[in-house]
Amino acid sequence: MPPKASAAKEKLAEQDEVLQAVILADSFNTRFKPLTTSKPRCLLPICNAPLLDWTLESLALAGVQEVFVICRSHAEQVKAALQKSRWSAPSSSMKIVPILTAKETFSPGDALRDIYTHGIITSDFVLVSGDLVSSVRIEDAVTVHRERRKKNKDVIMTMVVKESGARHRTKSRGDSAVYVIDPTTDECLHYEPVTGFPPKQVARIPREVLDGHPDVEIRYDLLDCSIDICSVEVPSLFQDNFDYADIRRDFVHGVLTSDLLMKNIHCYVAREGYAARVQDTRSYDAVSKDILARWTFPLVPDDYHPAGQSYELLRGNRYIPRDNSVVLARTCKVGNNTLLGPSSRIGDGAQVLSSTLGARCIIGVNSVVRHAYLFDGVVVGDDCVIEHAIVGAGVSIGSGSRVGRGALVGDGVELGPGSRLAPFERVSLVRDEADEEWDSDSEYDEAELGESRRLGDDSTEDSLKGVLGPNSNAFVWPRRKASAGVDEGEEDAVEGFQNQRLMRIGDEHEDLDLSDAGSTTDSEDEELSDTDSDLIPASLASSTTTMQTESAASAAVSAGEAAAEHEFLSEVRQSLSRAFVEDHSVDNAAVELKTLRMAHNQALSKVREAVVGGIVERIPLVADPARQRAEIQGWVGRWGALINLIGGVDGYHCAQSERFPLFGPILAALYQDDVVEEDDIRAWHAQPAAKGEGMYEGKHRDKVQKCWLVGARMIHQFDEQESDEETEDENSD
Amino acid sequence: MSSADLPAIPSQRVVEALAAKLRRRQVVGSRDAALETVFVLRQVIAKARFQNIHQLVVLIKNVGRTLAQAQPKEHSVGNIVRRLLHLVREEYNNAIKSNAPTRPRSLTIANFVLQGQPRKASLVTKAESSLVLNENDPDDPDSFAKTLKPVLMEAIQDTLDELDTVYESIGRNAKDHIHSDEIILTLGKSKTVEMFLKQAAHYHKFTVIVAETGPSYGGHEMAQSLSSIGISTFLVPDSSIYALMSRVNKVILGAHAILANGGMFAVSGSLMAATAARAHSTPIVVCAGQFKLTPLWNLYHEYGALDFADPSSVLGFDEGDLVDKVDVLNPYYDYVQPDLVDAYVTNDGDHPPPSIYRLIKESYDDEDNEL
Repeated sequence: MPPKASAAKEKLAEQDEVLQAVILADSFNTRFKPLTTSKPRCLLPICNAPLLDWTLESLALAGVQEVFVICRSHAEQVKAALQKSRWSAPSSSMKIVPILTAKETFSPGDALRDIYTHGIITSDFVLVSGDLVSSVRIEDAVTVHRERRKKNKDVIMTMVVKESGARHRTKSRGDSAVYVIDPTTDECLHYEPVTGFPPKQVARIPREVLDGHPDVEIRYDLLDCSIDICSVEVPSLFQDNFDYADIRRDFVHGVLTSDLLMKNIHCYVAREGYAARVQDTRSYDAVSKDILARWTFPLVPDDYHPAGQSYELLRGNRYIPRDNSVVLARTCKVGNNTLLGPSSRIGDGAQVLSSTLGARCIIGVNSVVRHAYLFDGVVVGDDCVIEHAIVGAGVSIGSGSRVGRGALVGDGVELGPGSRLAPFERVSLVRDEADEEWDSDSEYDEAELGESRRLGDDSTEDSLKGVLGPNSNAFVWPRRKASAGVDEGEEDAVEGFQNQRLMRIGDEHEDLDLSDAGSTTDSEDEELSDTDSDLIPASLASSTTTMQTESAASAAVSAGEAAAEHEFLSEVRQSLSRAFVEDHSVDNAAVELKTLRMAHNQALSKVREAVVGGIVERIPLVADPARQRAEIQGWVGRWGALINLIGGVDGYHCAQSERFPLFGPILAALYQDDVVEEDDIRAWHAQPAAKGEGMYEGKHRDKVQKCWLVGARMIHQFDEQESDEETEDENSD
Repeated sequence: MSSADLPAIPSQRVVEALAAKLRRRQVVGSRDAALETVFVLRQVIAKARFQNIHQLVVLIKNVGRTLAQAQPKEHSVGNIVRRLLHLVREEYNNAIKSNAPTRPRSLTIANFVLQGQPRKASLVTKAESSLVLNENDPDDPDSFAKTLKPVLMEAIQDTLDELDTVYESIGRNAKDHIHSDEIILTLGKSKTVEMFLKQAAHYHKFTVIVAETGPSYGGHEMAQSLSSIGISTFLVPDSSIYALMSRVNKVILGAHAILANGGMFAVSGSLMAATAARAHSTPIVVCAGQFKLTPLWNLYHEYGALDFADPSSVLGFDEGDLVDKVDVLNPYYDYVQPDLVDAYVTNDGDHPPPSIYRLIKESYDDEDNEL
């Protein structure tokens, strides 16, 4: 037998923890409309079994014991389907709990927040969407993830990816990503979402990823299986960051670019097995073909059909039902990679090529079905041509009709004889209820011209007769317009119209300019890419890390910088005074300052300066030297730790301040409090700048020099102490 | 015997679990599948409640059908169920015979076919023949089960022992098949063949050529294992099988299933090797346990065996552009016709392909051929 033996049982026996999985049984987009008007996407059949069954089967294969199914639209249908399925049988190895979420759940992020509030997750869990088809050994990824977590608690997620090459039919061109991975630890260092249109040509990779990672791989050949092994923290992170919507573009990107969270995400490159999501009509086509070409083995129709139908494999990947219920005319032609549902009938001279027919489909004489997906009970008349289309359940198509490429025909539609569906036409029994759709779709509203058209409306009757044929009960949905997507492109590039075209079945998108300009890595890009993320405007960016950009930066930019810096300093001052007045804890104050730093994109040294300055300014001036010393002690004792948290001390500060005479006592106090180390003072003292060299003549320089003298005296004291304790002399002066 | 009130299958959960594993190919390999099946059947019979032989047979058949349908390509599951059914009937008949006077069977041309199963005489004189069976006893419905169960358990244990020692018993007469200084060609990784060669190596010094057998490349493992005990071993690519055949004295293959017509299913590449051997009139010996005897014919595919694995071992999934344009088939088994095989070496002795049907008739009851 094929070498697919799995040691799942032993693995699970080792870890007596229950392996939990969460299925997001909602797509949160409308790419399958109108097929999904009456049915949730996860119940759409692929190779004659509902997508959800494929997903559950994939999880069962991995030895998952408890599954939570998050349903939103058509939740009752999902629930009923789960109850009917054999997973609810007492002998089932999995416990399935459907969870209905509120209608206000608009994104995977909302769903995860919902999971958090339910509090059902007790340990690491597998997060998948309800349209996954997979034969990947997920349990291996879970084991790897758990091992990693034992060593490092900050590993919160492992993404399962698969090598697929840069172009693959199953890899979405509209919604992919560049991964930056450390090849030794498989840590994902950076995640850069890529949209197909407008074509993304520059991926910005922050310089920080190179710190501590001598080797990095920058990969665009990974297919996102959208199987995530998540730790318990993940839902709570979604709860904390209420604006995270998409798991990849927001959560992964957000976590990896944040300095605050300090969490790690890893990748698991699956060497064996298959995994892909049916996230749009194009991938529906691709995954169907993958299943029929047996990439999903052992999840193949003749072997292990999730809906329990049994098929027989004939030469050339043709699958026919084992119950001999199919009637094939003597002269019909069934091509390669075709699946015929039970009780389907194919007429004389008809051709079915690379297609899937549901149960009880009837194909008329001399009709051609090519690269098309017909759900249950579709009746096709004589001499029809159906290409690259998805036809819903119970549709009847009159004789002599043509269904153009990319057309989607909703459930129950009747097309009259001689109808002509243009390419990418969408036809349904109900009107396009754009208002009720989700956010992502609302952008089309303005562009959709007029009403949905239906036969019988006087004005459009003649033109529609040609489209739908006589006696049709259907509406033609308005076309999506290109302009809408471009206007709102910045808002949500993935849902943009042109990008969506890359996800449509049968769309060759020849007219879209996707040509890659080649890998241009000119120096300008490199310098800019040093910044934390490309979200920050470039004008602010150059001040932070790169010194060499200063030459290039114009005067205007530096002016902007100065203004920004000023604003930042005042913010810090305010925040500090708030902290002093309201007596915040040191930790809270530190977090606040850190956030400020992020928001203004300022360097650490600036914060340090500001904080130290702020604290010193706060110390009240008292005439009496003894009281003064006590005052300093109090302040430093209270807030010294803050300086430490902020990231250490420069050893140099506030020479400009009028409190400079206090420098000596403050330095001593800081030293006593272990905030400043002796070495730091020495290092500072050794710097030429500390002596005031290179500074302008004047009062400041005097003060700085005085400070330096104070420091010198202190170092002298250190030296004396040291020589007292040890005979070994280490005189640096 | 009433066919009504059939008892529900006990230990349904165990049966379902194994069925699921077979379906998911988590249990693979003829012997493992056979062993698992016996374990499940033992559990089922131990917990079963039955009043007569009919109920028991139906029960076992039901379980067997569930398992066999879960993975129709793992033939040994069905075979072991048939074997157990055969043993159950045998024990039952022995018990009956000891009670009732045995009806003398006269051999006439009219009942020749009906009596076609030549039973071994030795089995009749078993110790348990003194059993008293009370079928459908209204006073004590369990009495039938109680008396029969110990005997059945013993029979199941025998089957298990047979499976455990199958490699040794096949290898027992290896030295008679392989002689000194011979060059043997084998294919892929078959545990049976491996043991066979290793046992022969105790007596003779010979050379083994192992074809690497893509795309599973089980040959690599096989070559390593053989050379580790000091057999002189060559690992060759599949393409050179024909070229080397003129030097080869014997081809020894493993089988996935032996069919009633004497043909067999074996790892893909076997047909090519067998055809090459035929061209050079090199003898082909197939080593297989008795549990691989399958009362089936290869009805559909002349060459392939209807089991196609995923294409990823032939064409990588990362060959993105090609995946869309090329249809890749990765058949797991070849069908080797009976006329290409010279002898089957089983734990029940050596047989030529034409007498396999007799072996099958002896091992199983005709009525179980369709589970």
